[in-house]
Amino acid sequence: MGGSALRATVRVPRLPRPDVVTAIPYAYIAALSLAIYLLEPSLLTGPGAFDVLATAVVPLALVAFGQTIAIITRGIDLSVGGVVSTTTAILATHGGTSGPTVVGQVVLVVAIGVLAGVINGLLVAFTPLQPFIVTLATWSIWGGIAFLVLPIEGGAPAPELITWLTGAWLGVPRSVVVVAGLLVAWLWLRSTRFLIDVRAIGSDEARARLVGVPIRMRKIQVYALSGALAAVAGVYLAAQTGSGAPNAGDQFILNSVAAVVIGGASIFGGTGSAAGSIVGAAVLILIPDVVFALRLTSFWSVFLQGFVLVVTVTISSVVITLRMRRRRGAG
Amino acid sequence: MSVLTAYVVVVGLVVAGTLYTPGFSGIGQLRTYAVQASFIGLVGLGQTLCILTGGIDLSVPAVITGSAVMTSILCHGDSARLAPVIVLVVCLAAVAGVVNGIGVAYANVPPIIMTLGMGGVVQGLMLVYTKGGISSFPPPALARFVVGRTLGVPHLLWFWAAIIATGAVLLAVTPFGRRLYAIGANREAALIAGVDVRRMLVAPYVVSAVGAAVTGVLLMGYNGQAYLTMGDPYLFASAAAVAVGGASILGGSGNYVGTVAGALVLTVLSALLIVFSLGAGWLLITYGAVLLTAALLASVRVQRR
Repeated sequence: MGGSALRATVRVPRLPRPDVVTAIPYAYIAALSLAIYLLEPSLLTGPGAFDVLATAVVPLALVAFGQTIAIITRGIDLSVGGVVSTTTAILATHGGTSGPTVVGQVVLVVAIGVLAGVINGLLVAFTPLQPFIVTLATWSIWGGIAFLVLPIEGGAPAPELITWLTGAWLGVPRSVVVVAGLLVAWLWLRSTRFLIDVRAIGSDEARARLVGVPIRMRKIQVYALSGALAAVAGVYLAAQTGSGAPNAGDQFILNSVAAVVIGGASIFGGTGSAAGSIVGAAVLILIPDVVFALRLTSFWSVFLQGFVLVVTVTISSVVITLRMRRRRGAG
Repeated sequence: MSVLTAYVVVVGLVVAGTLYTPGFSGIGQLRTYAVQASFIGLVGLGQTLCILTGGIDLSVPAVITGSAVMTSILCHGDSARLAPVIVLVVCLAAVAGVVNGIGVAYANVPPIIMTLGMGGVVQGLMLVYTKGGISSFPPPALARFVVGRTLGVPHLLWFWAAIIATGAVLLAVTPFGRRLYAIGANREAALIAGVDVRRMLVAPYVVSAVGAAVTGVLLMGYNGQAYLTMGDPYLFASAAAVAVGGASILGGSGNYVGTVAGALVLTVLSALLIVFSLGAGWLLITYGAVLLTAALLASVRVQRR
C-alpha cells in the first residue's frame, strides 16, 4: 500500500469514483420517487410539495452533516439524540418570550450543543475510550437532562421561532435555502485543511500522527461541530413540531447514521461526503411518504428506516471489505 | 474497578443509604434491589459477551419491549398460552440475534451500526404489530411466578442464580468462553490459533437477544403491564453494568460475576436516587455518568498492564 495517510494529507480531494456504493443513494431516491409518483403523485408534484419535503429534510440533514464528519474520523456520535432532545425541551418550555430573548435562547441552545460536543471530543481525544462508548454515555446524560427540563411531551416554543424558520425568502422556501446552504458549506469544507486532516485520521490515525496532523484538536472540533449541528436541528425540530419531548431526538441517532451510510461514506472511516448524506437524509424522509402512498400505517416507516440501514450497511460493508482485500492482494 | 471493588461499592452504597434512611437496608428492601438488579443482570449476560468480543448490542431495548408486548398480546391473560408464546418470542429474538451476529461476523459490519439498525427493525415491527398502543395484562401464571418465592427467595433470584452460575462457568472454564476471550484480546491471533472467529462472533448477539427477550417477558410480569418504552433504560443500564464489572470496553477482559456486581451497583444507586426524590431524568444521568467513569477506570487499568 504505502503512505496512504501521507497521500491523503497532500492530495487534492478527488471526485468519488463511481461504483456501487456511491450509486446507492441515487438508486434509492429514484426508486422511492418513482413509487410515490406512481401511487400518490400529489406528494411530489402538488403545490408546495418540494417545500414540504425540504422542510422535513432540514433537521435530519443537519444532524447527518455532523455525523458524516464523525464517521469519516472512524468515530460515531450517538449523543446527537440527547442533544436534540435537550434543545427541543429547553425551547418548548421557554416559549412565552419574544424578540431578542428568542435569539438569546437559540444562542444558548447552540452553545449547549457545542459544549456537549467539546466534552465528547475531549473524552475521545484524551482517553482510550472508543467514541461509541463516550457518546453512548453522554446520550444517556443529555437524555436525562432533557427529561429534567421537560418530563412529558408538550410545551410550545416561541412563536417567532416558527415564523423565522418556516416561510420563504424572496419566494424561495427557507428550508430549501438551508439545504442549499449545507451543500455549499460542504463544497467549501471538503477542500479545507480541516477535512483533509479528518480524512487522514479516519484512514490511518497512526500515520496521520506521523505526518503531523493535530489529531486531538481535530477530534474536539469534529464532535463540537456535530454537537452544534444537532442543537440547530433541535431548534428546527421544535419550530416544526411546535412542541418538545424528552426523547424527541432519539430517532435522529438511527436516521443520521443511516443517512451517512446511504450517502456512501465508508463505515470504516477515511471517506464520506456530507452532500451524499444529505441525499441519504432525503431518502429516509421519502420513506414515510411511500408508506403513506401505500396506505400503510405510519409505523411501517420506523421498520423501513431500520431495514434500509441494515441492508445498505451490509452491502456497503461487504463491498468495502472486498475492495480492501483486493487492494491488499494487488499491493 | 476490579470485581471485588465493585462488590465493596455495593456494600458501601447500601451502608450510605442506611445512614440516611434506616429502612434502606431492610430485608424486604434488599430483596427488591436484588430482583430489580436481576433484570439488568439478565440483559447484561449477552452484553458482557458482546463487549468482551469488542462489540455492543444496541438492539436490546427494542427486543425487551417487543417480547414483552408480544407476550402480553398473544397470551391475552391466558396462562395456558404462556409456554408456547414464550418459546415463540424467544425464537423470534434468536432470529434477530442471528441476523445481528451474521452482519457483524460475516459481513464485517461494525456492531454498533448493525445493532442500531436491527433495533429500528424490531421496534418498527413491534409498532406495526401493536399499532402504537397496548392494553393488556400478564397471564396470571407469569405474574404468580415473578412475585412468588421458594424457601423465602423470589423465583426471579433462583433463576438469576442459575444464569450467574452458567454464565460464570461458561466464560471461565469452557472452550467457548476461552475462545471468546481470545477473540476479544486479539482477533488475528485467535484466528491463527484455529478459532472459528466468525462462527464464534455470532454467539454473543444470540445470547444477548435471547436474554433481552426473557427479560422482557419477566419484566412485563413484574410491572403488571407492557408499555412501549419499557426497554429503553436497559441499553444504558446493561452497558454501564458491564463497565462497572471491570470489562474493558476495548474488549478481551471482564466476566459475568463483575457484571452482576455492576447490576447491583446501578440498582442500589437508583434506589438512592428515589430516597433523594430524584426521578427518571437523574436515573439516565446516573447511568451515563457511571458508564463513563467505570469505562475510564477500566481502560486506565488495561493501559497500565
